[in-house]
Amino acid sequence: MLIGIDVGGTTTDAVLVDGSQVVKTAYVPTDHDNLLNCLLGALDELVVGFDVRKIERVVLSTTLITNMIAEGKTDPVALVLIPGPGTNPKDYNLGESYILDGAIDYRGREIDKLNESQIKDVASKISAKHLSRVAVVGKFCQRNHAHENRVGEIMAVALPGAKIELGHKVSGQLNFPRRAATTLLTVATKDQYKEFAGAMTAALRQRKISAPVYILKADGGTLPLDKSIEMPVETIFSGTAASIMGVLALTPAGQTSVVVDIGGTTTDLALILSGKPLLSSKGAKVESLLTHVRAFAVKSVAIGGDSVVNVATDCVTVGPQRNGPALCMGGSGPTPTDAMRVLGMTTIGDAAKAEKAMQDVAGKLHCMPKEAAQKVVDFVVEKIVSEVEEMFCEWEQEPAYRIWEIVKKEKLQAQNVVGVGGGAPPLVPLVAARLGATANVPKYAPVANAIGAAVARPTLTLNLHIDTERGEYIVAEEGLTGKVTDRKMTPEQAEKMAKKLLAERAERLGIGEYAGEAEQTYSEVFNMIRGWSTVGRLLDVRMEIPAGLLASWRRC
Amino acid sequence: MSSIGKSGKTGLIFFPAFDWAISPTHPEREERLLYTRDQIFEEGLMDLPAIEEYKPRLAELKDVARTHFCVPDVESQVTEAHLIAAGSTLTLADALEKGEIRNGFALVRPPGHHSMRVVHGNRGFCNINNMAILVDYLRTKYGHKRIAVIDTDVHHGDGTQEIFWHDPDVLCLSFHQDGHTLYPGSGFVNEMGGPQALARTLNVPLPPGTTDEGIHYVLDNLILPILDEFKPDLVLNSAGQDNHYTDPLANMRFSANGYARLNEKLAPDICVLEGGYAVETALPYVNTGIIQAMAGLDYSHVKEPDFVPGRFLQTDQMKREIETTVSQVQKIWDERDELVKDALAGAGDFYRRKKRVFYDTDMINESQEEVVRLCPHCAGYMTISTQAQRGYGILNSAFCVSIPRGACSSCREDAKEEYEEHVDDRRIGYVLMQDKDRDRFKFHNNMTHTQRGY
Repeated sequence: MLIGIDVGGTTTDAVLVDGSQVVKTAYVPTDHDNLLNCLLGALDELVVGFDVRKIERVVLSTTLITNMIAEGKTDPVALVLIPGPGTNPKDYNLGESYILDGAIDYRGREIDKLNESQIKDVASKISAKHLSRVAVVGKFCQRNHAHENRVGEIMAVALPGAKIELGHKVSGQLNFPRRAATTLLTVATKDQYKEFAGAMTAALRQRKISAPVYILKADGGTLPLDKSIEMPVETIFSGTAASIMGVLALTPAGQTSVVVDIGGTTTDLALILSGKPLLSSKGAKVESLLTHVRAFAVKSVAIGGDSVVNVATDCVTVGPQRNGPALCMGGSGPTPTDAMRVLGMTTIGDAAKAEKAMQDVAGKLHCMPKEAAQKVVDFVVEKIVSEVEEMFCEWEQEPAYRIWEIVKKEKLQAQNVVGVGGGAPPLVPLVAARLGATANVPKYAPVANAIGAAVARPTLTLNLHIDTERGEYIVAEEGLTGKVTDRKMTPEQAEKMAKKLLAERAERLGIGEYAGEAEQTYSEVFNMIRGWSTVGRLLDVRMEIPAGLLASWRRC
Repeated sequence: MSSIGKSGKTGLIFFPAFDWAISPTHPEREERLLYTRDQIFEEGLMDLPAIEEYKPRLAELKDVARTHFCVPDVESQVTEAHLIAAGSTLTLADALEKGEIRNGFALVRPPGHHSMRVVHGNRGFCNINNMAILVDYLRTKYGHKRIAVIDTDVHHGDGTQEIFWHDPDVLCLSFHQDGHTLYPGSGFVNEMGGPQALARTLNVPLPPGTTDEGIHYVLDNLILPILDEFKPDLVLNSAGQDNHYTDPLANMRFSANGYARLNEKLAPDICVLEGGYAVETALPYVNTGIIQAMAGLDYSHVKEPDFVPGRFLQTDQMKREIETTVSQVQKIWDERDELVKDALAGAGDFYRRKKRVFYDTDMINESQEEVVRLCPHCAGYMTISTQAQRGYGILNSAFCVSIPRGACSSCREDAKEEYEEHVDDRRIGYVLMQDKDRDRFKFHNNMTHTQRGY
């Protein structure tokens, strides 16, 4: 039996899955100040009457990191940058930072030396500010770790007991400001996350649940809880990821679907393209910070069941503001929920109040209340449809750097519109009809998030960069380096090497049994020509275990 | 108008054509923009709010036919890479015209500024002229009249010059390393355009070793004042990066900072990458600097690892040489109206010139005779008879007819007559008609008696 628990905005949902059957669901109200209790509360309610020894796996999806960042409860961090030549670091809006001399270039060669006394000066400034957490990030330091390592050493001596995080250990992808932001957030959340993980482990032990415990990440993959403390930021936005994985579990395999989550204030949209949830192209945006965290591409549209209905001359508009609940639910003004009530699309709320809300709108429009309600609903549907179309369009317009990518990029159309969230059932058929797709509100839609958590498999990415002229390889994800001797290494050899390295990394992260699922998702090779001869090769390979479902889950 | 004072984002298209090369070891190979990719991605430039990245598109064959007479047809002369490089400039043009961006940089390869109006093959690494295609597109689609093309590549922009040779509304100004010392061996002060457009082609040959100081002297004392007087609708920069002090194919001493400052002052509406082959030592830094300057960001932190301010000093002799050239070009510009008047006074009804064009990459020799009617009512139709030879064999021959935008009825009639006369003439392979006024283009094959249009 598998357990999935997702902490949502209002409720914490839990499901018990056996094979492909949802055996039981449970929920408790979410208490944002005590997530551990919510998770355990939902768990306890779920397992009542079941033998906990039969639990094979528990997956948690929490808003811990999301809330911590949103509420400004993260720990203070000193950001130390080694920016080298290029952009003025002030243009990155990373907040206050300490700038060090020293520079590495795109090939990983040192082009400017560190200044040790300057590093010590910065350390004493950090100490004077009583900061005990430091993020050290250098431009191109993922291609040569020497500078970050050295700065880390000096800081460790100068600031005893301080937590020091190096950029190359957090992310090895190109994009210095994103790496800096991701490293910063990692240090800022790590201690509190570790505390949460420890308490969770203890609580489960107390309940005699010995099954492995995983945490859901923003890319829809699971990771053992004890390993996730190294990368807490990866667990951000896991609620959205849970919903999308749930939809993936509840719709036919390999299809293209739009996931529509209609709430009171906003509607969240996501795409599943030919069975693969679409990732945001460069990484998640966390508050004002752009990061390297792999996350599903989600578009939040400011329209929902409680959005304000405005009438200007003969025209109805809805949103983006919300002034409390719908009139039929005891609120103050007309909303889409009132309109849907009048049209009989929903049965919630007071019919008479809804009628009154639409009479107000109808009066301004000089029409019948039903007509007015129809206009409101049409506006909402039209808005969602146009945002969905724009999402497809943006996906098609993602930059490409090779001829074949530009010539061959396929055009996809939605086959399904899948609704999750409270506002979805009445509106999804209308949106689907406009998009020429099938409407689908799964039976388990209200707990799709918890199902998604329960049946999601681990994900893992490994970026391997090889410079045969310099005789080096680098694994971006963990700052691993090594030697290569073959100057004429082929892409096939690089792929083999990446596969092996990924298997080793998967083993270290406790998900070794999934290494066989890895596929190469990117590969490039460049001959380096100096004069008229080839002096080496630059190879880049990305190996991935993509988001997917456990093999035991067979879709309905 | 240049982009000075406009607000909004800088549009950027990065198309490194990582799967296209002239040949594996050619300077124009896959690797050329690799380190530039690493640098600008690592800088996170595409994430900055001042910059918007666009996806390139393929130019249509018609966009190419509007500018070039490709022999025997457009498809035989372009690959998808060429269409994407050209199309990138058009995507930025659309974004600019829609007001989505205030300026744009097409950081694309392959380059284009050595491609002339007639195309038999690749010359100077170029098949089709991205910049000229952009200019013709801007004028046809958006009705711009006056456009200034400033060619800042180290090589003379001979292709762009040749294409707009007779056009008084396109100012083609190229500064470059003196043609006595560098490919393509042209671009001297006395090359200044056809009789109707004299001094709308301006060339500033510079001595090898010219530094930031010298190039900025030309910019401040010649280019910017001329732009003030020419008052173009748009300023475009054929932004080659091979004036850099590390470029392996040229001998100048321009720095990344110098390039950034140039683009800040010139404030082009659109930049199009041309050459630049110091793939590691120059391109990552120069491109970063240009992008920052265009986006109004601080570029003072961009510096090549081995560069120190004052590293290259201009000798007095070099200074005098540059000042002399600048004053010569200034004089030509100042006398432009008289030059045109005098030239037209004694010119008769037609202007003819014979040319030989060498395609260094493809080893093709072309001979051309170009005839333009000096029409008092319009720009005058043009015919070009061209023969290309590779080795001892005839490659292709063609007769090309061009009807200008705003053609008068008499030019249109005569041009059509010229076309009809040469159709099915067995001595000529192809007859090409370019009707810029109606934006229609047809290519007739005299051997198969078939015709196709764009």
